[in-house]
Formats: sequence, structure tokens, C-alpha cells
Amino acid sequence: MDNKIISVQNISKKYEIGMVASGSFRETFTNAISLSNKKRSKSSKDEFWALKDISFDVNKGDVIGIIGRNGAGKSTLLKVISKITEPTNGRIVLNGRVASLLEVGTGFHPELTGRENIFLNGSILGMTRSEIRSKFNEIVNFSGVEKFLDTPVKRYSSGMYVRLAFAVAAHLEPEILVIDEVLSVGDVEFQKKCLGKMNEVAKGGRTVLFVSHNMGAVRTLCETVIVLNGGKVAFQGDVETGVNIYLGMANENMSEMGQVNFTMENAVGKEELKLLGIRLKDELGNIKGTFSTSEEITLEIDYYLTEKVVNMRLNVRVLTGDDQILFAGSSHSKEPHSKNKGYYTCITKFSKDLLNEGVYKIWLQAGSPGYKELLPEQIYLKFTTEKLTSSGTMRDSVLPGYIAPVLNWEIITK
Amino acid sequence: MYKTIIEPSNGINLNLKEIWQYRELLWTLTYRDIRVKYAQTAIGFAWAIVNPLFTLLILSFVFGTVANVKVEGTDGVVVPHIIYTITGLCGWQYFSEVLAQAGGSIIGAQNMVKKIYFPRLIIPMSKAITAFIDFAVVIIIMIICMIIYQFPPSENIIYFPLFFIIAVVSGLSAGIWMSALTIRFRDFQHITPMLLRIGMYATPIAYPASAVPEKYQLLFYMNPMAGVVEGMRWCIIGGAPLHYYAYISFFVIFLFLVFGLMYFKRVERVMADIL
Repeated sequence: MDNKIISVQNISKKYEIGMVASGSFRETFTNAISLSNKKRSKSSKDEFWALKDISFDVNKGDVIGIIGRNGAGKSTLLKVISKITEPTNGRIVLNGRVASLLEVGTGFHPELTGRENIFLNGSILGMTRSEIRSKFNEIVNFSGVEKFLDTPVKRYSSGMYVRLAFAVAAHLEPEILVIDEVLSVGDVEFQKKCLGKMNEVAKGGRTVLFVSHNMGAVRTLCETVIVLNGGKVAFQGDVETGVNIYLGMANENMSEMGQVNFTMENAVGKEELKLLGIRLKDELGNIKGTFSTSEEITLEIDYYLTEKVVNMRLNVRVLTGDDQILFAGSSHSKEPHSKNKGYYTCITKFSKDLLNEGVYKIWLQAGSPGYKELLPEQIYLKFTTEKLTSSGTMRDSVLPGYIAPVLNWEIITK
Repeated sequence: MYKTIIEPSNGINLNLKEIWQYRELLWTLTYRDIRVKYAQTAIGFAWAIVNPLFTLLILSFVFGTVANVKVEGTDGVVVPHIIYTITGLCGWQYFSEVLAQAGGSIIGAQNMVKKIYFPRLIIPMSKAITAFIDFAVVIIIMIICMIIYQFPPSENIIYFPLFFIIAVVSGLSAGIWMSALTIRFRDFQHITPMLLRIGMYATPIAYPASAVPEKYQLLFYMNPMAGVVEGMRWCIIGGAPLHYYAYISFFVIFLFLVFGLMYFKRVERVMADIL
């Protein structure tokens, strides 16, 4: 028999920007009037194709990661597959029941008790009452909120709320499970538990579509990935190649403004380390993307450790415009043996009169040698250097070479 | 094996089978609505009684005592005005409750609509079921009034369930319209209460439909609830059979339902995108 459980055939989804969506009467009337006066021109810039002619097949039991930059169409794809929104063109054949988990706790009502919300949320997610009843104890145990089952969930801490919500979702048993970034919730310990549970689900022969920005989770859970870019499938295949392609695409997006910042939610990094920001500063402390070759450049890296980390080091490379390693350095000589949970800033300086005029990139990675990677390698910043003469005017000739240290000359006349 | 095909939809497919598959969700949402509606209010469920009771007293006072509208039952028997009013009110109370709740229901459930698939019709449907409670409350008040006034129901009461079904269809179709329209045009959040206020007086709750001048009768019965309210009253207190215009009212309900479903289905396709 055919082993295909999901077959996506030429799916496209168009959004009309500024479309008469949830409008008012006035708009509709105005549009109606302008329609009668002159044919309303619908230029192509009003349209936005979130998905463009996407096709792929998924076999039964596959665990597929869907990755791509923000706006690549990942969420739209999941919404189309889970029937929340209709495709504009194309066709999807699903040979099994789908449960989608685009959010945990959908339909939770704050006034209802934990017990009632388990039933409510369960049936919203597509479980029957008898199914929920048979799994009730498991769900409660998993969530760890036994004591508060008969308390309205509005009195729960946000952690308890999320744990209960995930517990319900984790006990869904559809043939196809569609998951969007649910792992970005809860504390680290609970995230681990969720990952474990999802691993279990994946090993149980169920088909899983998993959207995430967390490459660590994608690497752990998925066998293959689909990389989306601009609403199209850029790659489908093994995880390593896919993740590298995705990271390469992320590089296209790197900042030339001298800084990149992340919030806790979208921070790059593995579970233990969240990269929050990288900055380049001049001697006066200004954040810049363009420096004079005669300026000392300061690199600052902010990160947050979610737990105690031993033997960590931050590796920095300065690359040339065509990605050749110019030089590299590591923070390990100054790092303490272990670091506690908390915020850190790591600072290093590139001396003046070292770089030539040109374009350079900052590459970053963190890990504890021989143990594990904390921050996957990636190029984050791109900066430019210009040579200024003492009078401040640009010199007309550029020296060849990647670096241009100022050489001290001594001339002896014999 | 369970097989689903997702395609751009064209035409109207009601897919009643799917709604049946999701019936547990319908019950759960109904249960949630009932539970939540009176949570955290000081007198809780008593509000369900106080509201219709006050409407009844005001209508009966204004029309019966102040305006002194004459009402008659079978063979010219004088009906206590309060009985007359409550027989009219029971259908209307149900209808207005469904309409008021269903109007913003999908906007209220937008978190669900944007994150989970289920037949969206379930949302207004659950409101139509939730309002059974309000209907039951008015019926109980009616029974109490009838005991107090020693007023036995007429033998037409066997037709009462029929009119109740028509009332449910009427409330549901109006609710479907309003929930879909409110998504498209938020203006309906303001229009719905206004319509309900007009309807309260344009529906023969506390006065007989025959009191409306002949030339307005046709227009009067375009109100989907006019026929139902008259019909329910006829079941309880008897009297002359329904004016044939009442059937216009039923036909209007039918049209309401058909076009309401068509419109809802059209909006449903883009619901998650425009909310």
C-alpha cells in the first residue's frame, strides 16, 4: 500500500494586503462606489503570496522539521495543513487524523477549574470525552498540578498553566501531529520533559510536522527537514544539510548596522545559552557598522545562561568578505571554571591599524570543549572599514591584502 | 482509513456529517458558556431569573396598566395581562438571548478559530443551545404565573414544541447572520443591541398582532419572531387561529436560515485570515 500519509500538491496561499477584510460599512460602500466609477485596479503589490506552489510528500512515521526565516511561510503552511485557513490553489491529501498544536492551551478558560479545562481543551483538540477520561490521570501526573485541579486556572502561575496545557496536548493521539514552536514555553526542565515526550510520540510511529527556530530541537527530534524560503520549498532532505542551508539563509540577514539583538523568546542558542545581542563599538562607545582602520573596535556579546554551565568558552572569528578566516580567538583563558545562571557580557577588542579597508564578518560559536555545543556557529555581523588619512580625506590607493598593520619603517643610509 | 482532502472550496457544502462528528465539542462549549456566564457574580444563576422577570414586569406595566391594551383569549375570556405578556415573552427572550450572544461569538472565540480547526458553525450553534436555559427559566416563571392566576393552558399546547423548534431555527439563523456579519463589519456590534431594542417593541409580546393597522401587517410579519411569538401564545391561551400572514414570518425564517448559512460559509473560508 501507498505509504504516503501527507501529500501536498502545488499549494499556494495568497493574502491580499489591505483587503476589505474586517472593515466597516463605510469602506465597503466607498469601494462599491469607486468600483462603479472606475474599475478598481488590483495591482500585484496588494497581493502577497505566503506560499507559492509548494509540493512535498511525507511518509507514515516521518518526523519532519519545517524551518525557515520569519515570514518564510512556515506558519501559513501549518495552518493550511490543519485546515485553519484555506489554500488559494492546490490540494493536500491527508491519510489520517490531524491534530494541530499551534499553541498550547487553546480555549482554556480562566474561570474554569483545571479539571474542567482538561476536558474543554481536550475536546477542542479533538479528543472524545471517553478518551480524555481514560487519560485523565496520566495528564494530571504529567502536568504536576494535582493539588490545584479544582482551582480556577486564573489562579495558576503561568508555569502551571503552561504545564497543564501542554500535558493535555501531549496526550493527543492522532496519526498526524502538527506542532508550531510550542517548546518555546515553560522553564528549561519542563521543556526537556516536553522534548522527551515528543521524542516518545515520534518514536511511537506517528507522523510529526514540527516547526521551530530551535535548531537543537530540530536536530534532536527530526529525521528530515523541509526548508522554506519566500513561500517556496528551498530544500527537503536530511537534517544536517537542511539546518546548514537555513543557517546560511540566516546569514543573508545578518546585520550591517553594527549590532544584532534578540529577545528572550527568539534568542539564538541551545537550551542552556540564549544569545541576546552582539555589538561593535568605536572608542567613544558608539555602535557602528563602519569603522576607520585607525580605530580600535570593541566587540560585546550579551548572553543569558539558563542554568549553571561548566567549562564554557565563546569562540570568535573575524572573517573576510568572502568568508575566509582571518583570525580567531576564544574567551577560555579568562572564563571561570563554572558559571551560574544569569546574564553575562563578554568583551574583546580588535586593535587599531590592523584591518585593511574592506568588508569583514563576525562569526560566533559557544560550547564546552568535548562536552557540548551551546551556541551553534553562525555569522552575525558584517562591518566595513575605511582608511582615513590624518587630514581626514580618503586616500586614493588601497593596499592589497586582508590586513594592513601599520609597519614601522626604519631607513638607514649607508 | 480516515482521509481528508484540502482544496480551495467552491460552492456551499454544509457538511452536517462533520458537525455531527464534532458534537462533543458543541456540548463542551455549551457547558463552558453556561458555567462561565454566571461565575463570579454575587447572585450567580439568579440573574437568569431576575432579567426576564423585570422585562416581564415592565412590559406588563407599560402595556397592560398604563396603555391598558385589551387582550382576549378563547371565547372572549379576559386573560390577565401578565399571562398574556409572558406567553409572548418566552419566545422573544430566547431569540434575543441567542442573537445577543451569537453576534460577537466568533470574535470572542478568535483565539480558537485562529489556532484550531473545527466547523465554525459550532460556535453560534452552542449559543443557541446555551439559551435553552434562559428559555426554561421563562417557562418556569410562566408556569408559576399560571398557577397563581389559576389559568389553565389551552388544548393547543400540544403544538408548543413545534413553535419552540421554529424559535430555535429563527434564533439560530439570526445568530449565524450576526456572527458572520460582525466579523466582516464590526459595526454590527452596535447594530445588534439596537435591532434587539427595536424588536422588543416590533414583536407582539405585550400586545396582539391584530392591534397593528392593516396596512402595516405585511411589514409587521416580516419580523421573523412575529409568527413564533403569536404561535406560542396561541398554544398557551388559545383564541383565534394564526393570521395567514404568520406563515410569511415562517417563510422569512426559512430564507434567513438558507441565506445565513450561505453567507456564513462564505465568510468561514477567510475567517482565520481576517479576524
